[in-house]
Amino acid sequence: MKFFAFHLMPWDRLPDDFAEKYDTAWTWLPNEMFDPEHGGELYNNYLDQLVLADQLGFDGVCVNEHHQNAYGTMPSPNLMASILARQTKNCRIAVVGNAIPFYDPPTRCAEEFSMIDCISGGRLIAGLVVGGGPEYYSFSKNPTFAREMYREAFDLIIRAWTEPGPFEHYGKHWKLKYVNPWPRPIQQPHPPIWIPGAGSRETIQFVAQRRFAYMGIPYFHMDFFQRNFDMFRDECEKCDYTTDPEQLGWLLPIYCAETDEQAWAEYEPHLWYFVKKLLKGLVVFPPGYTSARSIAGIQKGLQQFMSTCETREDIEAGGYAIVGSPDTVRQKLSERIKKLGVGNLLGLFQLGTLPHDMTCKNMKLFAEKVMPGLREEMNAALTS
Amino acid sequence: MKTENKTLNIAGKKTQLTILGEGPPLLYLHSAGGETEPIAFHHKLAEKYTVYLPAHPGFALSEGLDQIEDIHDLAWHYVDLLGELNLENVPVVSYSLGAWTAAEVKLIRPNLIGPLVMIAAAGLHVDGSPMEELFIDSFDKLRELLFFDPASQEAIDYFPADTNDPRILMWLRAREATARVGWNPYLHDPKLAGHLHRLDGPVQVIWGRHDKLIPLAHGEYYTEHLPNAKLAVLEECGHMVPYEKTDEAAAITLDFLGSV
Repeated sequence: MKFFAFHLMPWDRLPDDFAEKYDTAWTWLPNEMFDPEHGGELYNNYLDQLVLADQLGFDGVCVNEHHQNAYGTMPSPNLMASILARQTKNCRIAVVGNAIPFYDPPTRCAEEFSMIDCISGGRLIAGLVVGGGPEYYSFSKNPTFAREMYREAFDLIIRAWTEPGPFEHYGKHWKLKYVNPWPRPIQQPHPPIWIPGAGSRETIQFVAQRRFAYMGIPYFHMDFFQRNFDMFRDECEKCDYTTDPEQLGWLLPIYCAETDEQAWAEYEPHLWYFVKKLLKGLVVFPPGYTSARSIAGIQKGLQQFMSTCETREDIEAGGYAIVGSPDTVRQKLSERIKKLGVGNLLGLFQLGTLPHDMTCKNMKLFAEKVMPGLREEMNAALTS
Repeated sequence: MKTENKTLNIAGKKTQLTILGEGPPLLYLHSAGGETEPIAFHHKLAEKYTVYLPAHPGFALSEGLDQIEDIHDLAWHYVDLLGELNLENVPVVSYSLGAWTAAEVKLIRPNLIGPLVMIAAAGLHVDGSPMEELFIDSFDKLRELLFFDPASQEAIDYFPADTNDPRILMWLRAREATARVGWNPYLHDPKLAGHLHRLDGPVQVIWGRHDKLIPLAHGEYYTEHLPNAKLAVLEECGHMVPYEKTDEAAAITLDFLGSV
């Protein structure tokens, strides 16, 4: 069982009248709201939190890529990962991931990931993603080519890591006479690959066939994760092997305080800032991003999305976030990790307005009072 | 009215074609909204012409979007289609995405298209008059964007009611097919403006005064830069000219085609 601290690096100062005045925290949200001085403080706090995760014994930290939004102000996770490669000592650094259709050419991703792997002494986990729906607006990238660009970029990056260069790549979207990236990664044949998914069968099959790791995209109801992870295990069986739990990851917001009551009292306003403001506009399917049939079908899944929650009871019933005393958090996580059969827990310990000191306290309580026992219990359960 | 439905094979692309009315041939090239089933405007034209109403690849039951990567591929598709129908110098009535396509076809095969009607045409980038965002999810917002009177029954009926509406799949397909050629550059071809002087046949440009998606400035630009074009501006009309001003637009169209 592995524990990761995931960070979005969100913006914490959306106005009170945001819900009435703005349709989205993405793409069209005026960037005048971003105050660079305050942004600098936030980035440094957020990096401190991830360095703390390493010191507290987390197995890894996660950063990710988003553009032109308040939800995750980390357009270049590779910049953050390279700082963390120096400032952390032991933990894995998971970039979940680079949105590779936006890298021109995608061999840039192979190069930068190799640099991070070298600097960190082989601690990188390489996430490769198709990019969020809103980002096809932000970059004016044609979403009707998203999937084929992803596949071309993906195969090219793997080749760049594994085949001696220089070689030629004449694909549909990129034409490269010389592919010969310096540097190469320490981890051979290449860093472990994580691919996040929101439940599309096509992605699940792809990850299962290639024996990569599948990360459940968060903010859905527990039942939705269960269906997707079960589907993944079935697909692995179809490829004649049994899933290693470490091929599965589950990401969700976690908050720990001294007692259940205190945890909810401290956490709730921050949780609602996240749910009602930062999630607004995240789920956008530009034309062709997935098939028309999938888009029609995904509407069903959206009825199980966190932004439909109105009360604490909705959050608890759907397992959208785990909140409580260390005992409560451990007990709930233990039950659900066993049920979902996942080997990686990706905790979101900061989600917007949660202040730095409370985030650190949350992580410390989790690392000291939840993680060790849970790790032991799960390792025993997963090997039995 | 005489109506015939056909499925053509155009260079490997299954293509839906509706043929409406009697008389000399006329080709209608539809908009991003995908008016591929005859509407009142088509019926008006079909009183004098045999209207050929093909669905672009990816619209309605037409396939082959995988072979379309940009507006030029779409234009070549119509070169093939006109060849298949044995049509030359044919009058073309075209609307929005279809009008942009018509201009591109006439550039590469001037002999195929005769007198041309361009209604609320996409295809240009006009400095200072940006087109609005068409690729949004909210039908209410789209209604505001496209119709002069978004509260009219016409505007309400135009869009699927919700995701359970059986029209939703076709709607999503139409959006995807439009995005394929119109996402970036956004609904225009940066080189088209530089070619307009080569489109020297007679052109009737028709625009709604209150078009928010493609502002009237685009109509004025076309009219000024096409060597042989005139502009008709319809009052109290948005982007949805054939729906909002059916009779007026049809009368202008038929007058023009009768006079050239």
